Amino acid sequence: MPFHFSLGGLLARPAVTAPFTGTTTTASLRALFPNILRPFSTTPASQKRKKKGKEGPGHEFRHRVAKLRGNLHGYAPPPLRMARNRWLRHWTIHRAWQLHQRRVRESLERERMRMHQGMHSACEELRVTEGPGLKGEGYLYRVALEKKGLYGLNAVPIEYARLQTETPARIAWDHDWKR
Amino acid sequence: MSSCRQVGRPLAQRLLRQDAAPLRPFTTSSPASAQVYKVVRERPEGEVDPVELDPNTAVHPWAEKDLWKAGTPPIGSRRRRYAIRTSQNIPFEQLPYQAFQEARKLLAEDREEKIAAIKAEVEKMRKIREADASLFKGGEKKREMKLQSLRQHIEWLKIQADINDPCIKRRFEDGLGDMNKPIYRYLAQRRWEAYERKIIEQRISQFHITPDILPTFSPQYDVQLFFRRAKVPAGKLLPSDITEVPPRLRIQPFDAGDRLVTIVILDPDVPNVAADGFTKRCHYLAANIPLSPTNPALALSRLPDADHVAVPYLPAFAQKGSPYHRLAIFVLDQPDGRPLDVAKLRSLYAANKTPEHNFSLKSLRDKFGLRPAGFTLFRAAWDETTADVMRRAGVPGADVELRPTRVRSLKPPKPLRGWEAKRQGPKYRHLWKYTKRIRGLSNAKGWIIKKRGDGGGRRG
Repeated sequence: MPFHFSLGGLLARPAVTAPFTGTTTTASLRALFPNILRPFSTTPASQKRKKKGKEGPGHEFRHRVAKLRGNLHGYAPPPLRMARNRWLRHWTIHRAWQLHQRRVRESLERERMRMHQGMHSACEELRVTEGPGLKGEGYLYRVALEKKGLYGLNAVPIEYARLQTETPARIAWDHDWKR
Repeated sequence: MSSCRQVGRPLAQRLLRQDAAPLRPFTTSSPASAQVYKVVRERPEGEVDPVELDPNTAVHPWAEKDLWKAGTPPIGSRRRRYAIRTSQNIPFEQLPYQAFQEARKLLAEDREEKIAAIKAEVEKMRKIREADASLFKGGEKKREMKLQSLRQHIEWLKIQADINDPCIKRRFEDGLGDMNKPIYRYLAQRRWEAYERKIIEQRISQFHITPDILPTFSPQYDVQLFFRRAKVPAGKLLPSDITEVPPRLRIQPFDAGDRLVTIVILDPDVPNVAADGFTKRCHYLAANIPLSPTNPALALSRLPDADHVAVPYLPAFAQKGSPYHRLAIFVLDQPDGRPLDVAKLRSLYAANKTPEHNFSLKSLRDKFGLRPAGFTLFRAAWDETTADVMRRAGVPGADVELRPTRVRSLKPPKPLRGWEAKRQGPKYRHLWKYTKRIRGLSNAKGWIIKKRGDGGGRRG
């Protein structure tokens, strides 16, 4: 479901506005408006007692969650408005993209089917073959389909049951990485 | 002025500057006008360039004024007109948008594939037709089945070859599609099935056309109804003077080829007082009407009577007091384009106008082997013009008003109930000023006087 999505609210924002400390901008502002921008207390921020109840779980994501919740139930975006020629071009591109996707999907399906049929015919060939030596028909097939070493202590690790890929990485984020 | 300048630099001009030679400029009059455009408020001296006075390209205020006076107002905004003037007239398919051109390339490639497939299928069909029937497992019948399925597949391929073409889509949306071509027929059918067919099916069910007139029916043709140049939505209640003249129909079949159709207008709500019921009456019957996807228009008043019309048009009317009449218009397909015997139809149906003669569409269908294919309807009710219409049509009964007979309840009257009703006796004399409101008998304004059918008022 599409919904309004504004990045501004999702950026990490400090939950409480920091008190005015001695930065250059606040210093210049303070010079202009001494009465307005003076902090209420002169105690250093670190020595202040933390208020109870403000530090709940998910506190730092409060604004983000609020923004997400607001956007979740917001209005749908307006429909695309295009003039005729532009709409026809859009439609053409859309049709071509759909056609392309279908082609890719069907070629993948064909390839997988071909591979599967290759395996199937190889097994069939093994099943009807006699030998080696005095072994009877189907011996090779039985041996080929034995599941030795798949289970138990000396088995192939379960990680190899899936295709080995680069993502996701073993270490999600390498903080020590330097260029 | 600045906005005009912005328009004067279309994308196409910049992108196609290298190969500007093959592109014919729209106008030869004002070179580089994109840069030098100025609003000219006064009419220039001497001869005026015809481009200035074309409703598509006129931009100057004086030219616009002239066009308004001449009755051919300028088309679109001044911005658009200026854009047309200054852009090169590139056809839509050659517009230099990269994604669009890539998409067109892909689609053209796909179309080539489809056409090659059609050729291969045709070749296959030829081989099957030339081969001996004994070679097939099921004999001649099986071969016919094979040919039929191949034909269907070719039809599908023909549609698929053209369905992604933006020009075809545009032409269809503009109503310029050639109905001889399968793609336009397919698009038209899809559009009809998306909305109008659903409406017609709803009318058929909500007005009980099935099973009142036919046991089952599913429309195949798009039928539109016009009375006196106005299109009538299916099921509309029309005044009698509007429906006095025969309607115009627009019957759009979606399969190729010419055919002959029979058209029937019938009224299934004719009150039959003698039998205390309703019968059906044929208002119009014409047969052997040629029809094809390319000429769907059909004016019933223009049909030559001798060749086609078995029952001439009888205007729709409803006697005073009768409930509304449904006037169903059916288009029936004649099988294999076989013509019907109009004289026989005439002898069967022309004289039967009294309510005692019940016209049956089902019987007509079965007698002549017709296939109901199209449907629409309108409704008629008594109004102030109906009497004149009936008089002009020579139909008796305009002076008769039908009235429903009142059926009185057989239940005994209920005793009065409630706190007030119980306290009506002399014992409660001291409460009489509070016990005036009895349900069904009286209220704060006094006694309820019930009207009777015989006109006399009665208390209580």
